[in-house]
Amino acid sequence: MTDPVILLQILWTGLAMSSYYVLFSVAFALTLKVEKLWNFSQAGLMGIAFFAMYFSVQGLELPGWMAISIGLAVTIGVALAVQVFAIEVLRRRKSSGLTFFIFTLVFAQLVAYVLTVAFGTDPETIYPSVMSHVRLVGGVAVSDWDIRAVLVTCGLLAVLYVLLRGTRDGQFILAVADNARLAEIYGINARRAYLLSSVIAAVLITAGIYLYGSRAGVTPDVPIGLVLTAVIATLVGGVGRVFSAGLAAVGLALLQSFSILFIAAKWQSLLLYAVLFGALVLFPRGLGRMSIRRAPRPPAVAALQVSPPLAGE
Amino acid sequence: MNYIASTGMLIGIYVILASSYNLIIGYGGLNTVAHPIFFALGAYTTALLGIHTGLPALPCVVAGVGVAVLVSVVLALTTLRISGDYLLIASLGFQLGLLQLVNNFEFTGGPAGLSDIPSTITGAARGPAFLAICAVLAVSVLLAIRRLMAGPFGRAVRAMRDDELACAALGRGLTSIKVLIYAFGSGTAGIAGGLYAYYYQYISPDQFTVAQSATILTMVVLGGIGTTMGPLVGAVVLIALPQAINFLHLPAGVVGPLQGMIFTSLVILFLFLRPKGLVGGSVGAARLA
Repeated sequence: MTDPVILLQILWTGLAMSSYYVLFSVAFALTLKVEKLWNFSQAGLMGIAFFAMYFSVQGLELPGWMAISIGLAVTIGVALAVQVFAIEVLRRRKSSGLTFFIFTLVFAQLVAYVLTVAFGTDPETIYPSVMSHVRLVGGVAVSDWDIRAVLVTCGLLAVLYVLLRGTRDGQFILAVADNARLAEIYGINARRAYLLSSVIAAVLITAGIYLYGSRAGVTPDVPIGLVLTAVIATLVGGVGRVFSAGLAAVGLALLQSFSILFIAAKWQSLLLYAVLFGALVLFPRGLGRMSIRRAPRPPAVAALQVSPPLAGE
Repeated sequence: MNYIASTGMLIGIYVILASSYNLIIGYGGLNTVAHPIFFALGAYTTALLGIHTGLPALPCVVAGVGVAVLVSVVLALTTLRISGDYLLIASLGFQLGLLQLVNNFEFTGGPAGLSDIPSTITGAARGPAFLAICAVLAVSVLLAIRRLMAGPFGRAVRAMRDDELACAALGRGLTSIKVLIYAFGSGTAGIAGGLYAYYYQYISPDQFTVAQSATILTMVVLGGIGTTMGPLVGAVVLIALPQAINFLHLPAGVVGPLQGMIFTSLVILFLFLRPKGLVGGSVGAARLA
């Protein structure tokens, strides 16, 4: 089992498998950073995105690109509807974290029940076959799906980085994440930032569930498990660190992959839950928060203070 | 008659569960969602002892309560440093981890669960007898919690919920209050687990999932968090209303998800129309508004 090729294979498969975990984790961490919301309704969005694409391909026999477009449109639409008709109402009422938790969790459950009634409980994949062309690279099997997954994930993360750091809307999102009230005083539209972060999360979720559903079977209750992994990665990465959550997701996927060397597959979930509980109890602000003591970075709002065009916003 | 007894039992069990959970989350302000695991520990311990030792029901249920209390103390002591959303998520990890253990161990029956739980009462009187026991226990739990919260301990618990720092400054031991609340609430959930195991004679990990956490939580919230009667009202409404679908004679595979749809829709509806719950208005309810 210590054959380098086997270890390399596990490493590569783990990395490829981490792609959808990364996308879900970044989506979850972004929502938590910007809206201060543990948004379990993202499990519902995953279900909606998957079954929209599944129905488009296998029910309507549409080509893949069209199915992805439909999945994206439906998911963004539902994400915005949830934001406008539910989250905003609760936010206006200054509802407690518990109320938000109940709403998002129950919404995810409602979606799962609706999808169960509509599509049943058999595992489904987006395409009729999950087979993918495989080539050997130095003895390591690399499938087309692996390459597609890694490229899509890296591409989306690069776009997100540029969007957050290089565009005015991205800076506004970061400013709202730092301090929504202060950002509004500076003329930033917090509502627009919340809606935009919902749209970004919906795009990442659709991409993630597309990758997952084109490789493994999905039932209506699978997304709840996926969102829990995103929660764990967010906590391990450190609350408020969007890209660190992605890195943590890679670490968790690799931990799961390599754990097959020393524990049975059925115990792998337990490993994740132990990490979740241990990380929270020992490092409540996340592992990323306890490693290096550094000077606090000035909040994005302060940085925007010197940006003249803001006045008109 | 069996159907009425079964529905009544379910309502009674959920009244016990929701009331004990309300003690922890409503009165104590400890945001945990791990309550179903104590229900499960009570049920599994009772069932395993009943199957393997042949002991009478009472010692088996008492042992179930003991295990639930013991594990709840572990949870209470390990999560003392965290609160709010962090406690919520940590308790979720605790619940899922323990459930995974139950799911993986062979002696718990694995995913298939335990099905040979002995019947303590047999014959035509079984349903009504269990219903009577369950009703007595549910009323006792409600009265005990009401009495507990009306006394000095209850005032200390509410003081801790409203302002931990001020409560500690007055010389109250927060650790002991938290541990006691967890222990009392979780032990009561263990009683519900014992009743459940003996009445339904079948338990599996599927019955104690995150969905169960949401079910009990919403009963508390919809009824009125931090009120004595709230969990009772929440349990009755949320168990009784989805039962209506049973009379439509739909295929068995559709009934469960449809009941779930009704349940979750009711929760969302009430969350927006009655944010303080059906018996709301207390200080505890204000936490949710």
